[in-house]
Amino acid sequence: MSQSYNRGLVEDFGRWKEFTAGMWAWIFHKFTGWMLIGYLFTHIAVLSTAIGAAGDTAAIQAETDIYTTTIQGLEELFIVRVLEVGLLAVAVFHILNGLRLLMVDLGIGLEAQDKSFYASLILTGVITVASVPTFMKGVGF
Amino acid sequence: MAERYSSFVPGGTAWLLQRITAAFLVVVLAFHFFQLHFVNHAADVTFQGTQARMSNVGYFLTMVLFLIAGAFHGLNGVYNALVNQGLDGTPKKVVLAVLTIAGVALVVQGTYVALAMAGWT
Amino acid sequence: MSTQQQEPETQEAPEDPEMKGAQSPQDRRLAEKESGAIDEESEKKAELEGETVHIKVFRYDPEVEGKQEPRFDDFHVPFEKGMTVLDAVIYARDEYDSSLTFRHSCRQAVCGSDAFFINGKQRLACKTQLSELEQPVRIEPLPHQEVVKDLVVDMGHFYDQMHAVEPYFQDEDTPEVSDLEEQHQSPENREKIKMSSRCIWCGACMSSCNIAAGDNQYLGPAAINKAYKFAMDDRESEEIKEHRLRILEQEHGVWRCQTQFSCTEVCPKDIPLTEHIQELKREAVKKNLKFW
Repeated sequence: MSQSYNRGLVEDFGRWKEFTAGMWAWIFHKFTGWMLIGYLFTHIAVLSTAIGAAGDTAAIQAETDIYTTTIQGLEELFIVRVLEVGLLAVAVFHILNGLRLLMVDLGIGLEAQDKSFYASLILTGVITVASVPTFMKGVGF
Repeated sequence: MAERYSSFVPGGTAWLLQRITAAFLVVVLAFHFFQLHFVNHAADVTFQGTQARMSNVGYFLTMVLFLIAGAFHGLNGVYNALVNQGLDGTPKKVVLAVLTIAGVALVVQGTYVALAMAGWT
Repeated sequence: MSTQQQEPETQEAPEDPEMKGAQSPQDRRLAEKESGAIDEESEKKAELEGETVHIKVFRYDPEVEGKQEPRFDDFHVPFEKGMTVLDAVIYARDEYDSSLTFRHSCRQAVCGSDAFFINGKQRLACKTQLSELEQPVRIEPLPHQEVVKDLVVDMGHFYDQMHAVEPYFQDEDTPEVSDLEEQHQSPENREKIKMSSRCIWCGACMSSCNIAAGDNQYLGPAAINKAYKFAMDDRESEEIKEHRLRILEQEHGVWRCQTQFSCTEVCPKDIPLTEHIQELKREAVKKNLKFW
């Protein structure tokens, strides 16, 4: 009898408590990566209003062109500011962990790979918190 | 697809390019964030201000390169994530085609936007 | 003195069983040893109601009706100082359930037969002290491999990947007669491949690898490490090294490694697997850049 049992992905998220630093780094890096590429498409879509705004010198001078009004309209929304802080956190983590991964690719400091992951997490937190006042300027801060 | 007999296997090229774009993006993304949230606040962005920045050829080229590198790095990352999950055969080819088209469209649209911002359209 | 030593032990156990856990294992074992040395009767007592380890073992057998649905069986095995997880399952098999199936052979971390998933981590059962583990000790077959019976998994795919990298010395040329008739390796080169040569084919790394779980074609850490051993060996010619790198630089070769370090963390022989994979990535890139 050649029957066997496939236990599937027994190490999936049900066992998240047993994940090691390297696994978390990979999960976060991938997750933040998806967010950033998603944002890039949205970003270009929003900035595309510049195509409509270009040429109308009078409106541009008066700052009533569609590009300026769209961006400033978005920036007035509290939720957009919150999302921007989120984006900063995501980008900073991806950058810092990305640097960590570049080091790993170059074979530098492999023994400290878990510590460098924790360091990038902490640094991300610090930079994000420190940036909140700047990002929230004009919307209640 | 026909087997490529070049000694330069695509897997390695993409891997290296992913790292090279990463190194570039780290610098430019940090600069971009700093430029538009700390030096200039995003809330104060106007077309005039954007035009003043974008009509500088160096800045324009950096931003276009930023876009190309970002699109490649991001979409190649997505593709790799899916291959790591075991994506194979026809779906893999379809995904690659879709991501390539999306990437090209993004770069074309983005470059057009940058040209409009610089006032060169 | 003897009664003094024994009293707290016997009082404590029924009153508050959790208190036992608070004691360090060493204290417990010392106390047990001392009381055991005093008279044989108390030793027997300790054997009966003394310290046991609680293990939960994964059971599955497609040929037995009651075991076709996987389940966990509980065993309480008398604890002895220095006992490993393998000792515990051997005891459980010999004393309680002779149908309990698992692979083991040398019992000293050389043969690589008894890699199990112990308390959520791939470990070599013969090299894992029970005293280091939290109880109940959960013993499962290696994840991401088909379970044949109980703790026995199908290693076929793992061996296929190992063989895919041609794990054998390929240089036909013997050194010139004026030299030596043996193919000597420099001590430096030997040092370079030393760690990679320690692999015992236990499959723990492959089982721990997130990518190997998703992408069945990925060579996996063990096979790449095996390729490293030969690719970095100076005695093979450059052409053969290039041939080896061509195998490794396929889409499902080294590039799939995402440097999660899972393999490096579980390897019972402490092989720096991730480091070796990364070095091969760089070697492959360098080789290709040369042709440009």
